[in-house]
Order: sequence, then structure tokens, then C-alpha cells
Amino acid sequence: MANKNIIRYIGILIILIGMNSALVSDEFSANQNWSSGTAYLLPVKRYEIGLFQPLRYGLSETRELSLHPIFAFVSPNLNLKLAHDKLGKLQFASDHGINYPTILMNLISREGTGGIISPEFEIPHMISIYNGVILSKPLGNYHLITVKAGFNFALKFGELDKRTTIDLPLVFPRLNVFYNGYGFRSGCDLKGKIFKKWFYLADIDVFYFPGADEDFAFEHKGLIQWNKSKKFQLCFGYKLSYCNYPFGSQWHLLPAFDIQFAKQLKTKK
Amino acid sequence: MVNCKGIALISFAILGLMIYSCDPLVNKFDDTEDAKMYTAKNIQTPPNNIDTFIFMTWNIRFGVARIPWFGDCCGNKVIVAKSDVHQNLENIANFINEVRPDIIFMQEVDIESKRTAYIDEVQWLLDNTYFNYGCYASMWEAQFIPSDGLGRVNTGNAILSRWKIEEADRIQLPLRGDQDALTEYFYLRRNLLKAKIAVPGIDDFYALDVHLSAFSTDDTKQRQLDRVIEELETLDNTKFVIGGDFNLIPPGSDSTDFCDEDKCAGESFHGPNDDPMHKEGSYFTPEINWLQVMYYNYSPAVPHTDYISDQEHYFTHTPEWDGFWNRKLDYLFTNMNWITGTDSTYQNITFENSLSDHVAVSAKLEVENGK
Repeated sequence: MANKNIIRYIGILIILIGMNSALVSDEFSANQNWSSGTAYLLPVKRYEIGLFQPLRYGLSETRELSLHPIFAFVSPNLNLKLAHDKLGKLQFASDHGINYPTILMNLISREGTGGIISPEFEIPHMISIYNGVILSKPLGNYHLITVKAGFNFALKFGELDKRTTIDLPLVFPRLNVFYNGYGFRSGCDLKGKIFKKWFYLADIDVFYFPGADEDFAFEHKGLIQWNKSKKFQLCFGYKLSYCNYPFGSQWHLLPAFDIQFAKQLKTKK
Repeated sequence: MVNCKGIALISFAILGLMIYSCDPLVNKFDDTEDAKMYTAKNIQTPPNNIDTFIFMTWNIRFGVARIPWFGDCCGNKVIVAKSDVHQNLENIANFINEVRPDIIFMQEVDIESKRTAYIDEVQWLLDNTYFNYGCYASMWEAQFIPSDGLGRVNTGNAILSRWKIEEADRIQLPLRGDQDALTEYFYLRRNLLKAKIAVPGIDDFYALDVHLSAFSTDDTKQRQLDRVIEELETLDNTKFVIGGDFNLIPPGSDSTDFCDEDKCAGESFHGPNDDPMHKEGSYFTPEINWLQVMYYNYSPAVPHTDYISDQEHYFTHTPEWDGFWNRKLDYLFTNMNWITGTDSTYQNITFENSLSDHVAVSAKLEVENGK
């Protein structure tokens, strides 16, 4: 019953996004700056970073690296986005990531305030590996639609007790791969210009873990972005989450806010 | 250019949908609100003619038996395995099915807590005993407690009955007055659960279940008890039984300071440099007469004279996970009359079967007295 509702909501959202894109004109010119979540890569030697966004760096015309610097020491992670030949009018990239959350999870497995995981459990060494594809297509001159899909799997070097799950929105679906062993993730982004320096972003992410009791999660984000310059951007909006947790299903609505900075390092001519 | 109105309208529509469907992080509760009602999977026809009722009160410690749980007995366990919770609930149900109370007041019953594998214990007990109806009032409902790995919690008081519960209210009791705002926000909110039950032979009958603050160091319990008595006074013209874990010891008790018995390794109390001087929840000396008003106004299942003459026989609790009972905290009172000599404090069976850190207490009430 709950899943039927979810499918209904997803359907409504896709229709809304479709309507949204139909409302736009055709004056858009794609730009590789602020291209997070799309099949476009950053310009070479440009980096972008946000309070809650990973540090992204344009390594070459076909490679982009990203990592979450805040978590880098306690949850080492690295993502590589590779640009591939266009598929017709579609910009095509692949996304490859690795994450080692053991240190962080053991850090928050503690007594007293801040104890997110019970200290009675030991978190084993484990890594997750993600591989996915991203396709982007401009809709006119001012809008861009992106679809993505990927496969995530985990390698564990010890027993991970199911009682260590962190049953919180955004967190649970991202760690569920360690409890289920593997999972799929897909999504759709729509971004574009509203007027002058104001942009919007609406996205949907779906997580699916075949065989798990908690097999489904859905997230939607709506952001307004103020693109002051090529070097600075403010974002605010909301994040909606629906997830099957160990206790059942629940919706959450969270505020979303970010300050993003960018810099273009000098390139050899 | 874009159609901004379209985007704005769509965004507001989505936002409205989302706000409507979301819950707060911690439920702060209204002063009075409807209790959550339950019905057993299979209804068993209750008797219409009955001479006596057996009432029982029992703090079941959320179905984790007497493990060294971190929160109350110097233990280190926090999250209990689902199979263990089921086994403990099975033991509790077996005991209830053997004693067969007609109405039971339960405290510390989890309905959606990570620590007990999210089992709805009210529904589970209804489905595995002969009780038909239940009501529940949460004392702690939080989506996430960021401490000791507790996570999601929903625990509280429950009343199970063979007869239909016609209405039930959750009545908020005063919050602890000795906590900072942040701790208070995430902390327990004690309540009085008041249920009108269609028992045969008594016209308006109310059952009330209460669990007062355990660790307050100020006058919180006094204020909570005042609120309970205020509610009982509104029932002057009706019949009621109130049961629960009052977290107070009877007036005249020999021992009133349990700081030394209850202290964990590394803790020290009563010394000139000790701060706090007394362990939270273990020092009853200033509170020794607070229950006097209940004994004075209502009939206790265990008469005060009986208790005073043989206190150990009526002890119902110990925070030591492997120790024997050393204080009485659990009571049944009524504005009717208990049948003399029918009270039971199930010390041995609770201890031997490791059912809870509290002993069940029961007594019989004669129907004729209730008319």
C-alpha cells in the first residue's frame, strides 16, 4: 500500500517536472560551471566546494575528481567522473566512487551525548563501491535535464550487526548497502535559469535494495540558487525524503541550504 | 524566458504536500489528548457475571528482563536483539496468563523503539494473552535520541483489559524542573493514562495508570503527584482503581537512602567533595511522606500496617540487575475496597524467571463493593 503511494507520488513529481520543463523557452546555453549532478564536467583546473557539497576538481577535459573534505579523514571517500563520447544529443559520463565509513561509524558508536550507534557494537572494516552512468540533455537554452543510474555494492571484513543501523533520513539509504550487500540508485535532475542570476534545481533520487526488508528510499530536492558570479553561489530550498526504515516507512521534510565557492586555477596555454 | 509562476506554484504545491505529511523530531504532547487504542487480533468473550476483579500493576521494563541495561543499572547494553525481546515478552505473557488479572496497568511498554527491535509490545501482549482491549500513552516519543545509540524511542504506559475500553485520555504530568532546556526537550514526558472501561457490575468505572519521574532531584514528583490527585478528585462520584510505578517509597520505610547500594563502579556519594551528594533516583529521604496523601485518601492494595510490619516482603524493585528487591515503588489504590488478604507481590517468580526489574503487584476487588 505504502509502495503504491510512493509510486503515485513519484508519478506526480515526474509529471510536475515534465510540466515544468514544458513551460520553458529555448534560449539556454549549457555551462560547465556549477555542473554538479550532471553529465558535464568542470573546466580543467576549476574547483568548486560547498558547506555541504563535496570538493570537486576538474582534472582534465574528461576526468573530474570529488570528495567530501569534512569527512575525508573519518570516512575516506573519492569519486571520479569520466566524460565519454556524446550519445547523439546526450552528454554522457560515468561516475565511480568508493567510501570507507568504518572510522566515522566507530567514532559515533559511543556512550553519552553524540552516541548515534550503541557503543556495545564494533563496526568492521568495510567499503562501498559505486559505478553509474549519467546522461544530460539541454532543454532549450536555459534548462538541462539529467538522468542517472548506478549499482552500489559493499565489501565487509567482519560481521556488521543489524542493530547498528542509523535510522535517519538521508543517512539510512546511504548506509543500507552495507547491511544488504548491494543496491541500485537512480535519479533525475532538472536545473535551469529563472531570471538573471537566479537558477533552480529539482531532483529525484531513488534507492532500491533487492531482498532487504527496508528496500526502498526516495528523495527529492528543490533548490533556488543565486549565482552571484563564477566564484560564488548561494542555494536554499528543501529536501524531501521517504524511506523504508526498520520501524516502517516515514516522510521527512528538511531545509536545504548551501554556500558554494569556486576558483579557476591557471592553466598552461 | 521561463514561466516563473509555474515553477513557484509547483514548488509551493510540493512543499504543502510535504509539510502536511511530516512529524516533529520529539513529540511534546498536549495537556490532555486521546490515548492510542488497541484491540486484540482475536477477541475472547469476557465474562458478564463476575464476583471479583483482579487488578495488577507491573513495570515490565520494555520487555528486556533484567539485563544490565545502560540507563538504570550500571550496565552497558543498549539495543536488545529481536529474538531476546520476543523471548522476554513470551515469559511475561506466560506469567500474565497464569495469574489472569482482569485489568493490568503496565509501565515502560515500548511500541516503536530501536532498543526493542521496534516491536509494538502492547499489540504483542494483547495478541498473546486473553486481554481484548488496550490503550497506550507515550511518555517518550522521539524520532531520534542522539545519545548512547538509543535512536528512535516510543515508550509509555498501557492498560490492558478484558472488557471494552470506552475512552482513554493521556494527561500530561509536570516536566522535571532540574534539567537544562536541551536535555528537557529530548527527555521523558511523564503522563497519567485514564481509561473508562465497561466492566460488568460497576457503572462508571475508571482505570488509571501512572509512572512518576524516576531521577528528579527536586519537587517534580510532588508536583506530578499533585496533578494525579487533582485528576482523582474529579472522579469522586465514580469508582476507580489507580496503579503504577510511583517511584516513591511508602511513608515510614526503614531505608530511605540507597545511594551506596545503587552506585556504579567509580561513583562516590555522601563525601564532602562529592557532587552530586546523592545519586539521582536513589535518595528518598526528602520524599518520604509524599505518598501519605494517597494512603490517607484511598485504599491501598497492600495496607500500610502490613507493609510496616514486614517491609522486605513487599519490596518491588531493585536497580541491581542481579540483586534481590530492596524497595517498594509499585502500588494499587482505589476509592472502593480491596478484599482483605488478596494482595500479592510476586517477588520470587519475577526474580527467578528474570521477568523485569520490577515485581508485579496484584489484588482482588469485590464487585458488590463497587456498586
